[in-house]
Amino acid sequence: MPLSPEEINEIRRVLGREPTVEELAMFEAQWSEHCSYKSSRILLRLLPAESRYVVVGPGRDAPAVKLFKDFVVVFKIESHNHPSAVDPYDGAATGIGGIVRDILTLGAKPVALLDMLYMGEPVDPHANWLIRGIVKGISDYGNRIGVPTVAGDTWFDASFNTQPLVNVACVGVAPLNNIVLGSPRPGDLIVIMGNATGKDGLLGSSFASKPLAEDTDKEIGAVQVGDPLTEKLLIDSLQILVSKGLVKYIKDLGGGGLTTAISETCADHGLGAVIELDKMHTRQKLVPLELLVSESQERMLIVVEPSRLREVEEVLTSYDMPYSVIGYFTEDGLIRIFYKGAKVAEVPAKELARPRAVRRASHPPAEALKGLKPVYSLPQEPSYIESLVKLLSSPNIASKRWVYEQYDHEVGVRSVIKPGLGDAAVLRLLDGSLRGFAVKGDANPRYTSIDPFHGAANSVAECFRNLVAVGSKPIAIVDELNAGNPEKPDHFWYFEMMLKGVAWMAEELGLPVVGGKVSFYNEDYRGRQVKPTTTIVGVGRVQDVSKAMTMDLKEEGSAIAVVGVTYPELGGTEYLYRLFGLEEGEIPRPRPSSELRNAMFILKAVGMNMLNAVHDVGVGGLAVALAEMAILGNMGIEVSVDRIYARGVQRIDEILFSETQARYVVEVKSARVEEFKKLARRLGVHISIIGNVLDKPVFTISKGSKYILSADLSLLRDSYNSLERVIEGGV
Amino acid sequence: MSAHLVEVIITNKSGVRDPEGETIHKHLILKKGYSMVMGVRTGKYLLMTVSASSAEEAIRVVKEVCEKLRIYNPIVHDIEVRLHT
Repeated sequence: MPLSPEEINEIRRVLGREPTVEELAMFEAQWSEHCSYKSSRILLRLLPAESRYVVVGPGRDAPAVKLFKDFVVVFKIESHNHPSAVDPYDGAATGIGGIVRDILTLGAKPVALLDMLYMGEPVDPHANWLIRGIVKGISDYGNRIGVPTVAGDTWFDASFNTQPLVNVACVGVAPLNNIVLGSPRPGDLIVIMGNATGKDGLLGSSFASKPLAEDTDKEIGAVQVGDPLTEKLLIDSLQILVSKGLVKYIKDLGGGGLTTAISETCADHGLGAVIELDKMHTRQKLVPLELLVSESQERMLIVVEPSRLREVEEVLTSYDMPYSVIGYFTEDGLIRIFYKGAKVAEVPAKELARPRAVRRASHPPAEALKGLKPVYSLPQEPSYIESLVKLLSSPNIASKRWVYEQYDHEVGVRSVIKPGLGDAAVLRLLDGSLRGFAVKGDANPRYTSIDPFHGAANSVAECFRNLVAVGSKPIAIVDELNAGNPEKPDHFWYFEMMLKGVAWMAEELGLPVVGGKVSFYNEDYRGRQVKPTTTIVGVGRVQDVSKAMTMDLKEEGSAIAVVGVTYPELGGTEYLYRLFGLEEGEIPRPRPSSELRNAMFILKAVGMNMLNAVHDVGVGGLAVALAEMAILGNMGIEVSVDRIYARGVQRIDEILFSETQARYVVEVKSARVEEFKKLARRLGVHISIIGNVLDKPVFTISKGSKYILSADLSLLRDSYNSLERVIEGGV
Repeated sequence: MSAHLVEVIITNKSGVRDPEGETIHKHLILKKGYSMVMGVRTGKYLLMTVSASSAEEAIRVVKEVCEKLRIYNPIVHDIEVRLHT
């Protein structure tokens, strides 16, 4: 997005003169929405970011949170929505590259990737092409750098047909004492390592800060190709530099390129810098302006004390890693850029790095009323088996095997729970102990598009429950807010409400939001925004990975219990959409107190070895949760709806398919049922023992003495495994 | 109607990088001393056997296949479609 006339005036004021073309390009890159958060910064301050575990909070390339007293986890989320819409394969791949480099900036070792993909309908040819390209791009890049993709989230909706949301996250671990927490000092050297700079990705952040043009062919400068081989060398050589204590500070060259890396580093530490652009290693002949704002991938900035330069150079040379020493820090707060001896720019770092924050106009559109509409006059209930089959084969619920089987999810031998078997991924720390962590990403674009505040709060809660369901204690989250055009009040309102929903729920659940990303301008060339989406990635602490819980049923005769109260909350559910074509109504209420109480109960029951399986109740409701547990365990069930503790329900479909929050389904060991009930009473948690696990492959739900749903497990499994057919046969 | 052999060569556009080619060049060819090799670009090659009334018709069909079935991405790739000789 070009600078506005007001911004150009502001630049004149900052400089006290007319800017040079190089200076204008620097301001354009850094003051883009993508780099400067100018529209979101004021509201982002609402997010709670502290807890006793937080070592590095928001503001750096990545945060660090104490997982154990001697180990930190470094994790962050990033979006690559706009690049992936134009070139799905390379756009998604370079997204992975970028998020991995963020993790490297604290000196952590990247150990896991997550991909949260909100894509078009598989039957739409263009959307189908995007889906395949995105998944392949992530898979190829992740596999080549040797970091497994362990978890994620997918959603398919027509609003993403041409504008997908590609949110990726990376998790790294490091001993607390090893992370790079130094600060640059005047005189320290600025070294750029990695790929040679080229014309690729010129002003890419500017490209991501405006709606996509109808004719994206002209956006060729924004196309970048991932180079996983160089990324792997970056990972390996930085590990060596960090372990030898040779670098004081590391920063990724991402959006905004060199300009952003230098200006933010200087501004964060009250420094200035002298840069000689002609020292940069380049792939082709570039003018100073291009050197300043190129977003060539796989480059990083490291800060080195002059006395350690020789040792750094030895390590980089041994890895065949191209690098250049381009300048040094000064104390005066001014960034001076030279090219072949001539000064081309002189800009105060703080003013460049932090443009004036804007409070955007914010107004709900009339459409937002659909989130206030109670659901009460639905047509007659369809048959329950028809409903369950339709839900299980919905691409939003069906097994994501097609996606994760393309990824290497085992490289590094850290995975304890395989994708698809648990509500979150569980990984070992690999330090010789049984300690580990859980991680998961969640969003529900339908909820946030109907009711952005409560929908976003539900994303936080869903992530929280997923972490609890595997037996981990949630310790922190990062968020990615994907919204429309911030200059349009009725788009910006969704962003504002989603952010406030995250802030509220995170505060209530005691989860610090340690980092995140905002992606605006997710609208098509007609100006329609995609479904605004809040993606949450959370990390939980696992004391003993051997106790991690999966959701598959395991033992004949054990009891099936529902934890939590079921309310008639069909608004915004998958059921309402798949069976009646409705996307409206009051969405399920976030219930923070119930979440905390029920989570504590689950963690205690897991710790006391009472349970065989745990599954949180999410999209599709109770019936879908039960079916998933049965299908994955290849065991039947026999349950009764009469025993499900519910309030105010008038129809059976409200019990089976409501997506009421704060609920879990658990398999209780048959000998432990009385203890389980006692624990629930003691903690004030509502539980219902609703039936048993069978050794024959039948799935039955009864009411009174009548079966209201009875199906062969193979029919349900077939529906659940239908995603591959939908995508592969979709064109 | 007769069978025509039609070649398709897909490469990244000249302004777009090719890390695979760069890696082959730098880490294999130059390392083995072939410093006269100044660059490497990789791509994808397809050979299609097409039943068509003429060579021109066969080429037209292949071009349509590549475009409609998204065998290449016009934003990123150059494509060359030619008769196999």
